Amino acid sequence: MSGHRIRAITRRLLQGFRRDRRTLALLFVAPIVILGLLGYLMRGSSSSPAVGIANQDSGPLGVVVADALKQSSHITTSEINSADGDAKLKDRSLVAYIVLPADFSQQAQNGNVSPEVHLEGSQPGEDAPVMQALQQALIMLASRVAGRSVSFQPKVSYLYGGSDYDTLDYFGAAFVGLVVFFLVFVITIVSFLNERSQGTLERLMASPLRRGEIVVGYMLGFTVIALVQAVEVLIFALAVLRIHNQGNVLLIFGMEALMVVAAVNLGIFLSMFARSEFQAVQFIPLVIVPQVLLSGIIFPVSTEPTALQWLSNVLPLTYAVNGMRDIMVKGADLTWPSLQVDAAVVAGFAILVIVAGTATLRRRLG
Amino acid sequence: MSETYAVNMDNVSKSFGAFKALNGVTLRVRRGEIYGLLGPNGAGKTTLIRLVCGLLEAHAGTVTVLGQRMPNVAVLRHIGYMTQQAALYPALSVEENVGFFAAINGAEAGVKDALELVQLYERRGSVVATLSGGLRQRCSLACALVHRPELLLLDEPTVGIDPQLRVQFWDYFRQMAADGTTIIVSSHVMDEADRCQRLGLIQYGRLLAEGAPADIRAQGGSQNLEEAFLSLAGRREES
Repeated sequence: MSGHRIRAITRRLLQGFRRDRRTLALLFVAPIVILGLLGYLMRGSSSSPAVGIANQDSGPLGVVVADALKQSSHITTSEINSADGDAKLKDRSLVAYIVLPADFSQQAQNGNVSPEVHLEGSQPGEDAPVMQALQQALIMLASRVAGRSVSFQPKVSYLYGGSDYDTLDYFGAAFVGLVVFFLVFVITIVSFLNERSQGTLERLMASPLRRGEIVVGYMLGFTVIALVQAVEVLIFALAVLRIHNQGNVLLIFGMEALMVVAAVNLGIFLSMFARSEFQAVQFIPLVIVPQVLLSGIIFPVSTEPTALQWLSNVLPLTYAVNGMRDIMVKGADLTWPSLQVDAAVVAGFAILVIVAGTATLRRRLG
Repeated sequence: MSETYAVNMDNVSKSFGAFKALNGVTLRVRRGEIYGLLGPNGAGKTTLIRLVCGLLEAHAGTVTVLGQRMPNVAVLRHIGYMTQQAALYPALSVEENVGFFAAINGAEAGVKDALELVQLYERRGSVVATLSGGLRQRCSLACALVHRPELLLLDEPTVGIDPQLRVQFWDYFRQMAADGTTIIVSSHVMDEADRCQRLGLIQYGRLLAEGAPADIRAQGGSQNLEEAFLSLAGRREES
């Protein structure tokens, strides 16, 4: 081992970084952006899930629990009629509603209360604060019932999901789409840059090909490959991993196809801003990681701090993930307005990046 | 004028930031001739070729190609362009590469002829990644001429290839010129100049001299073209 030669290699590497400002920026900015985002997501003043309270108790203790729930910092409450509860869960205006039955005070006096907890259930992260708030309210109730201990046996029901579902069932729906989106994006951006670095793009630009023809030709080529990949991922997820699916398989495939078209064109568009494969790969921590954190795959959008919710709501992956979950967890079909919105946003984004990619593909080199 | 000249550059300048790659170049290439652009590396030859095929736009002056002011996409159908680097798809075979460039020019019928011209028909199934540098250059040339362009732009086509292949290349060029194709070929190798009908000597983005090889020798005051070039370059620097 020669220290002199090792030093030469180390020096050469650092000299290269000195001239590659973009890589330097990525090395030092990206970790702060990603960790900062994660910190804000997990510790920021997150929004509380909206919970409805239907207090049907004819005695005095239902009010005690309802008031305790209203004061809880874990949830945001509103009073509802229990008959409206399921509709509000379906339209996502509530993530849960709690029914305190007519004989609730009587149950408490008998030492065993059973409030009804109805959970929307499609996003597991939303359930914990509801149960925590209820637990605290019932502890307060216990302190008001003199002379005897009170046990709690909430009757929990799920609109979607439930005890049959495990973690993979919840995350799988989102990951089926994400895996396809991510891989197709990376392959497209690197391939398009290869076209540039091997000189063939210069040749194409000196041919009668129009910019739109290049973009659409690329899009179709990659889409064919990516759709085969999407089928493979879908079969593996449903047949081998047995991820729970309530929806129509063709609809899942349709949503995946929209994500494929969006990913291909995002790759083409962003390749215009990179000069090498190395720079292209740098888009992953800047473009893909924040979307994964903010699109509701891991943390439900409804529990994010308000500022991040605005950001989440303009990210196309949020709608794609929501659509996949709507189909696979809730069994949504195209008559559902929420799925129509999700599909329209992803399709609109795909069209936007097709236009942007075509517009930024310069025929001239300088 | 458009009938006589395939390329007509009039007082063309092109800069990249503060660097003037071309500075007031006026140059005319007649239809059906082999025109050699000669000059050292960095003289402005590639910039000039890229202006002719519309990949660059002049900051000043006009570039007219086959009667049309450039840049003009419609003219590109009649231009063949061989880049300095053998720009090919390495994962495709020779025939697939040539077939692709034929297809985007609407000339699928020309693939066999092009492969035969560059003597690659027997190797048409070979994957480009497995070919030697010389074979890649031949494949690249086939891609440039597969659609039988009226104007063929060859940017240093003989760089890095052996003398035998270089002789073959010049045979192809002469054959095409005889069929009416106008060829602009750039080179920094002076011994290739004699193979051209007319030459443009270029240095520091300026055209030093233009004419038949014999005229250039006379202007430079030497029978040796390299010495003539150096003499002309020296005079320009003094002025």
